[in-house]
Amino acid sequence: MTSQADQQIAVGFTINGQRHDLDVSVRRTLAEVIREEVGLTGTHLGCEHGVCGACTVALDGRPVRSCLMLAIQADGASITTIEGLATDGVLHPVQQGMHDSHGFQCAFCAPGFLITAACMLESNPTPTREQIREELSGNLCRCTGYHSIIDGVETAVRLMQSGNESAGGEHA
Amino acid sequence: MREALTPGSKASGGLVGTSVKRVEDKRLLIGEGRFIDDLVVAGMAHAVFVRSPFPHATIVSIDVSAAEALPGVVAVMTGPELAEITNPFLPLSSIDKLYNPLFGPLAVDRVRHVGDPVAIVIAESRRVGEDAAELVAVDYEPLEPISSIVQALNSSREPIWPKAKSNVMFDHTDTFGDIDGVFTNADRIITESFSCHRQSNQPMETRGCVAEMATSGDGEREMVFHATTQTSHALRWVLAMSTERQSALASMRSLAHKRDKLKRFGAGAKAFATEKKDELGKSDNAGMLYQARKDPSTLKHMGRTFLNVLDKDPSEIPSVVADDIGGAFGVKGHPGREDVAVAAMARRLDRSIKWIEDRNEHLMVSGHAREEDMTIRLAVTNDGRLLGMDVSLVMNQGAYPAVPFGAAFFTRIMKVMFPGTYRWDAYRLRTRIVASNKAQYVAYRGPWANETWVRERMLDVTARALGLSGAEIRQRNMITMAELPTSMITGPTLDVRMSAHTTLERAIELADLEGFAIEQAKARSQGRYLGLGIATFHEAAPGPPDYLDHVLPGGGAMSSEPSSTVLKPDGRIAVITSQMPHGQSHETTMAQIAADQLGVGIESIDVVFGDTRRTTFTPTGTGGSRGGPMGGGSVLFSSRDLRRQILDEAADMLEAAVTDLEITDGNIHVVGVPAISKSFAEVAANIASAQGEALAGSVNYDGGAGGWSVATHVCWVDVDLATGSVAIPRYLVVEDCGELINPAIVEGQVRGGVAQGVGAVFYEHAAYTDEANFITGTFVDYLIPTSMEIPEIEIHHVETPSDVEANFRGVGEGGMIGAPAAITNAVEDALAHLGVRITEQHLPPTRILELAGIIEKDPV
Repeated sequence: MTSQADQQIAVGFTINGQRHDLDVSVRRTLAEVIREEVGLTGTHLGCEHGVCGACTVALDGRPVRSCLMLAIQADGASITTIEGLATDGVLHPVQQGMHDSHGFQCAFCAPGFLITAACMLESNPTPTREQIREELSGNLCRCTGYHSIIDGVETAVRLMQSGNESAGGEHA
Repeated sequence: MREALTPGSKASGGLVGTSVKRVEDKRLLIGEGRFIDDLVVAGMAHAVFVRSPFPHATIVSIDVSAAEALPGVVAVMTGPELAEITNPFLPLSSIDKLYNPLFGPLAVDRVRHVGDPVAIVIAESRRVGEDAAELVAVDYEPLEPISSIVQALNSSREPIWPKAKSNVMFDHTDTFGDIDGVFTNADRIITESFSCHRQSNQPMETRGCVAEMATSGDGEREMVFHATTQTSHALRWVLAMSTERQSALASMRSLAHKRDKLKRFGAGAKAFATEKKDELGKSDNAGMLYQARKDPSTLKHMGRTFLNVLDKDPSEIPSVVADDIGGAFGVKGHPGREDVAVAAMARRLDRSIKWIEDRNEHLMVSGHAREEDMTIRLAVTNDGRLLGMDVSLVMNQGAYPAVPFGAAFFTRIMKVMFPGTYRWDAYRLRTRIVASNKAQYVAYRGPWANETWVRERMLDVTARALGLSGAEIRQRNMITMAELPTSMITGPTLDVRMSAHTTLERAIELADLEGFAIEQAKARSQGRYLGLGIATFHEAAPGPPDYLDHVLPGGGAMSSEPSSTVLKPDGRIAVITSQMPHGQSHETTMAQIAADQLGVGIESIDVVFGDTRRTTFTPTGTGGSRGGPMGGGSVLFSSRDLRRQILDEAADMLEAAVTDLEITDGNIHVVGVPAISKSFAEVAANIASAQGEALAGSVNYDGGAGGWSVATHVCWVDVDLATGSVAIPRYLVVEDCGELINPAIVEGQVRGGVAQGVGAVFYEHAAYTDEANFITGTFVDYLIPTSMEIPEIEIHHVETPSDVEANFRGVGEGGMIGAPAAITNAVEDALAHLGVRITEQHLPPTRILELAGIIEKDPV
């Protein structure tokens, strides 16, 4: 059982803009490899059966459950984790929005919510509160009752709009 | 939604009372949290537990040879082997007439619930450990299991703990007032039975630990136990007592060479006994005598454990370190059997070991709560005056009582709190606790909350019988502000800030009951079912000074809250709290309080917690809604003490009178003359140059005037009888928790509690079959509500004006105490005209349809 399960395969992917080439065991999940081999522990494992969403990472721009995906399936992909959201020390609008709105409490679920919200805002930068609620319904939070997390995304939307306006102003 | 605080409330003008942004976010939002599974220590091995698939069985044999032979396996140890190197958990909080079975980290000869650990595998990696665990061959001889309360009360069933001679572990009746007289003379007696299902805390992070073996500065091997705990000091001493068992004789021989140590211990014990004389004097040893009669070996184990601990050198007592914790809601307040097994193995192998519980284990074994059946009788007058309440409570605590206190302690709180804030002439509670082949009963956010559920549900039942509304029966019987101060019939003082009645009146006003009645009638005519439910409660957060005397006499000895506030050499401030935050944002709220006291910005404060090498001993930690009132109050007074010392020192340096000094933005100066000043760093440097000790304010806060947190919840439901699903179009909370430290954080606590209440009623059930097989081992079976299920929750704060200092009262648990009552009251209101009566707390769609007579009840 063990020898076959521990067969190593070479994979290469980009995480937060940095290329990683690794030999990984075929039975290791993407989450395990990100956490234990790449050493990025911001992605969390809450249930390891694909329900809670704490392990959500962006794979080529789409949110995926890294606990349900084998690392070898991510060969060639571009991955973003919670550590890759901020740029040059400036928080991503969803991070800033959560901070401004007291979005999280224990924040164990935060990596999944932040990635899911960031992916949503890429495809729909002006969601309604009900759209936000529905989009985030694949991620579990046990602390907040979700109200403050939805507030946080709404704040992020406002931050992005005001940011775009000021950026637009500079260009003009 | 917030409304202005009641006129007269203190406006501090500082950070307290404002929604300061969270300090914790700086690391948590960028993926730099420090959760237990993020920790990697050199040479670390991994633990995996072999668990019973049977609810109740004799262990005939265990063969670990195949597991041991697997490459990468370090060691495998079975229950009997581990029992030789560990002491059993001791019933430290004994209660008269309560029998506590003794047990260790692993099952020895019998398994008592699905998931009961029978062996521990230590391997080089978790995946090898899991492979090896599957190779451990256990031969079981199944026994008849006990699942339900009905089965446990059946005296023809074999006891699962033979020494108990029954599956009833506790049977005790408390009576207040002339119960028989009141019931004899009442106009009416109304009786109903209620049943609550098993629920589970289920924080998003499971339990886990890393037992790190390291060499200290003086060459001793010592353990730093990194843990997910709400109470690092209690865990530390449970580990010290449980691990490295040796015979009592060996400890005594060794101690004979440690006279100094014995002397120091004697002096320490004497000092504690003197300081806590009043509290300790209230307790009796009836509980321990009862326990010793039931199981005489208790005293032998206690004696040996005590000697083992006394004999330990400091390096042999582990330090416990807890850092970021991904939620707990009570379940991490109990040191785990797994914690002890991992610590014992790390010592035995002299190797660091990590254990991370998986979600299936967490659902199955970490703990469940609230499984209680109750029958309640109310004696009332025809015009709706409450006279007497007579309750029979049976709690199903599962197989193993939680450590260090189990379900029995929560029944003592229920005993005190059941009457709520209503007037009664008499009250009686019979409490029975039964053992079953289920997982342990643990604290879950307001562990006594079913007193509120049953009382508030029963008020609606009674109102309906008398032709009153839910609002009317509460208004007629609730103690008004004009009647304060007074006492509950169970003893504790209700002081002038106990504003339950104010929250009720404000909630009724906001709810527009007349408008709702019209809307409800109109909806019914269209075949839609709307309902409204009200529930009011008060919570001892922390309670008046006499509260614990009425729960467990002498309980106050361990309830004080230590903190220190220290001026560091660089002029920054360290707030060292014995609180153990796990989502409650203490790094922000404690810093707000200290910053206001010291006249500095919040960025000058570092909050230190969780490391027993740095924090002062307390057995409690974070739980019981203590963080604000006890933790916050303690920090307020230790910070104020430090301020006084800093001003004294600065007065000498500035050659000014202390009374002429003030502090603005970290600048200590003569009033009105900001130029003649000293900074905190200059004061710290002055002390260092004079070889003085760093200035520190320290207190062990007793809670001061204490007080109650109160709230009224109102829930609106819209029941769909086509699907059985229930929508919550509106949910209102009116609460008074005294002065708000950080309103956004308070509101987050309230909403989170209500959300768990919504989950409890409509979705969550830690379910077993009648044969005690556990059937909700994944998040596909145990349903945590998502953002689609939790309504928007309106929160209105009221604050009773007061001169009490540190007028903070706890708010962590209240949301979950009020919600199940308000929600189930609303569901009954929606369906009452169809003859539906809600007597159980779990109302998933199928149950709603069964109750409404739309589908047949499933015979299984």
